[in-house]
Amino acid sequence: MIEFLEGNDAVVRAAVEAGCRFFAGYPITPATSILTGMMRALPKVGGVAVQGEDEIASIGLCIGAAMTGKVAMTATSGPGMSLYSENIGLAVMGETPLVIVDVQRQGPATGSATKGADGDIEFLRWGTSGGLPLFVLSPENVRECYTLTREAFVLAERYRTPVVLASQKEVGLTREAVDLQAARDDSPSVFARPLADPEAPYLPHAFHDPADVAPMSPIGGPHLVRYTTSMHDKRALLAKDPALIGEMMEHLARKILAHAEEHALYDLDPQEGADTLLVAYGVTARAAREAVVQVRAAGKKAALLVLKTLFPVPEKAIGEALAGVSRVVVPEMNLGQYVEEVRKLSGDREVVSVAKMNTDLLSPEEIIAQGGLL
Amino acid sequence: MSQGTVETCGPEACVPSYIAEETLPYPFCPGCGHTKIASMIDEGLRALALPPERVVVVTDIGCVGLTDRHFSTNAFHGLHGRSITYASGIKLADPDLKVIVVMGDGGTGIGGAHLLAAARRNIGLTVIVANNFNYGMTGGQHSATTPPGAITSTTLLGNLEMPLDLMGTLKPARPGFLARTSVFAGDAVELVTRAVASDGFSLIDIWDLCVAYFAGQNTLTRDSIEQMMADLEMPAGIHHEGTRPEYARAWRDLYLPEEVADEEGMCLLPPDKGLEPVAQSQLTGRTSILIAGSAGQKIRSVATLLGAGAIMSGLLATQKDDYPITVRTGHSAAEIILSPEPITYTGVGTPDIVLILSEDGLAHVKKKLPEYPPATRIYAEEGLGELDTRAQMIRLPLLAKAKEVHRLAVGAVGLGAILAREGLYPPRLSWPPPAACRRPRWPRPTPPGWSRAWSWGSGVAARDVRWRLGRAPVLARATTVRVVG
Ligand SMILES: Cc1ncc(C[n+]2csc(CCOP(=O)(O)OP(=O)(O)O)c2C)c(N)n1
Ligand code: SF4
Ligand SMILES: [Mg+2]
Repeated sequence: MIEFLEGNDAVVRAAVEAGCRFFAGYPITPATSILTGMMRALPKVGGVAVQGEDEIASIGLCIGAAMTGKVAMTATSGPGMSLYSENIGLAVMGETPLVIVDVQRQGPATGSATKGADGDIEFLRWGTSGGLPLFVLSPENVRECYTLTREAFVLAERYRTPVVLASQKEVGLTREAVDLQAARDDSPSVFARPLADPEAPYLPHAFHDPADVAPMSPIGGPHLVRYTTSMHDKRALLAKDPALIGEMMEHLARKILAHAEEHALYDLDPQEGADTLLVAYGVTARAAREAVVQVRAAGKKAALLVLKTLFPVPEKAIGEALAGVSRVVVPEMNLGQYVEEVRKLSGDREVVSVAKMNTDLLSPEEIIAQGGLL
Repeated sequence: MSQGTVETCGPEACVPSYIAEETLPYPFCPGCGHTKIASMIDEGLRALALPPERVVVVTDIGCVGLTDRHFSTNAFHGLHGRSITYASGIKLADPDLKVIVVMGDGGTGIGGAHLLAAARRNIGLTVIVANNFNYGMTGGQHSATTPPGAITSTTLLGNLEMPLDLMGTLKPARPGFLARTSVFAGDAVELVTRAVASDGFSLIDIWDLCVAYFAGQNTLTRDSIEQMMADLEMPAGIHHEGTRPEYARAWRDLYLPEEVADEEGMCLLPPDKGLEPVAQSQLTGRTSILIAGSAGQKIRSVATLLGAGAIMSGLLATQKDDYPITVRTGHSAAEIILSPEPITYTGVGTPDIVLILSEDGLAHVKKKLPEYPPATRIYAEEGLGELDTRAQMIRLPLLAKAKEVHRLAVGAVGLGAILAREGLYPPRLSWPPPAACRRPRWPRPTPPGWSRAWSWGSGVAARDVRWRLGRAPVLARATTVRVVG
């Protein structure tokens, strides 16, 4: 059954259907309709949605609620993402499941409120102190606003981590025919947060292997729960021993990185004998798909890799797509960010950045011309 | 983790301490007032005899932020100034928890906005401010409560700022309980106990000694604290007691009534009826339509209707809007792509069809007009004057026709005209109400016809305006979502 939905609407639907029952956010174009949508949706399913006094409060409310057993989400745009920064670190440190939607606008600072860009991409990966890994997913259309939001909740709950959905105005506020049931069928099933045995003593950050993830116990539940922003041991008590700290760092990194390939989502459209590979993500992938159609129609060859998981970087997928090509073209709606991730994996291949951040979409024609595809 | 050694007794029997013995001594400097404050909180909790699992001690940053470590309750140590936000999230998630926030004067400064919001909401937190007039942990810098003239490592020649008066600042919000005391006052334990017992937002401003920095540099002592209160006209005692409903429960009472709101009131999650195809469009390729008008002309709604109608005719559609941040002035434009094939690129370089409804809309497309080829059809309000273009012009009295019902219905009239003339799909389809919000019933599709479409367009417009003005909630809301920054 087809509906005519905006990307932000699809995020709301997916969140509610993923079991999200707590939302806090602060109004900001182009993310506001997620806030207002959650405000209308959550009470119907017994959830809580509030507007925070600012973005710092909004993400703080979500972290508190998430540790009290709620599946939580917040949504903002670049300026608010900047204010989230410190608390994203807290969520990493405290192993808090949290879905964060960044409906990007052209920036920096206040930028162009009603225009799109993918200018936050590297910031989303590196936007909090400490440099620990987290998942960043990027939807290319309304359907993926649904499926990747569902995916984001699975990742957040399964790995007890903040997960960022890197949407932007051109996806979040673009309305599109979408078959929601098909999207639902394509989505991972809801991942119910594993809970610690109520009878057994509780270690909030337990692991044997560093890649393990400890079950949670809600604040107010059967155990006394401890949570801290400071460097801690498995009991969430202050840790000073470098060996212990090193172990905890390894845990926070490995629990994500060890599962990176499992969650590397992408579409590969190879072409036998193609010398050039296009690597694209988000709304620009749509133009890249069109560019490839045009290139092939003109009798030339090109392969296309569309990334849905941006971080951890799907190294295996990129590596396989690179086999046999000598040129890589990376179009993006920024001044050239993710191209550097691709370059790191490209050896001595020629890597071309097709970059634009003037609020217009990158067109298939621009990708073809600047990428030297014809 | 420490499960504590506490057993909860009934109110008639003993209530053991909530301080976990094995965690002592406290890490504070000998003589630091924070030690006393920890004991006061313990006393307050004992008076309520709550099970430790139902208590959360949320701490801010600073020396005082080390306090939670010593409580055998739930403990949450968060970022500097943000303790109130986590505590509020916890309270909203589980309103029956007893949530105690322990923060320094540092937290009241950096997190001032959260304090104000929490007090205005009257959310049921007990906020204990260990106010020692400086940042102890970072080496005695001045804070929001440092008195004028005081010497700190960042006010080397004396503080020039007036201190934050927490009582005076929060009282207008009329929260549950506000009091000021000091770690030396005889009634301090009693006041902390009352703050802990409070149902709504309570805050107690406890004047405190940082013996390592502030007290020494400014000769503040047990005796002079009282004098300082007098000098600053910030008296001790209860400053406010209120009975406003506690926010976390009030929110639930208001938004989560026993009977869930009726579907019509909040038509957000309709069962997926979707836009079932009821007709077959003859369109074979991608067709792009640009609608350009003024803010307020419901351009985006009209575009949504155009797309929804296409979907009901078996097509796929995308809609990309363009408008300035101030939604009630300037242009509003929408680009719609219709196609029997999946739509990849959503940009519209050269539109196949353009609808220009107003001067704002004209200004928006003016630069592109000379580039449009003869194949492009421009439908324009006839009052707009000559346009510099090679495209095919169709001038129509859109505004005059719309005014028969309402001037803002001009887009719906234009849409009726386009549908009738372009044969994109049967025109009656272009006004499908969102599924599950279908009210009243829609006419079945009939064959296209210019005059019928015209009157139909106007009729639709009339209904649209009536809905909009009458706040007939569903369609109007579904199609007038405004996004303001
Ligand atoms: C965002 C941020 N900025 C600065 C700091 C450094 N810092 C640690 S403690 C502190 C001051 C705490 O003072 P106060 O709240 O009065 O507590 P006290 O140490 O006096 O008990 C500061 C600024 C921090 N932890 N986080
Ligand atoms: S530095 Fe000041 S606030 Fe910190 S423990 Fe010592 S006396 Fe207390
Ligand atoms: Mg202090």
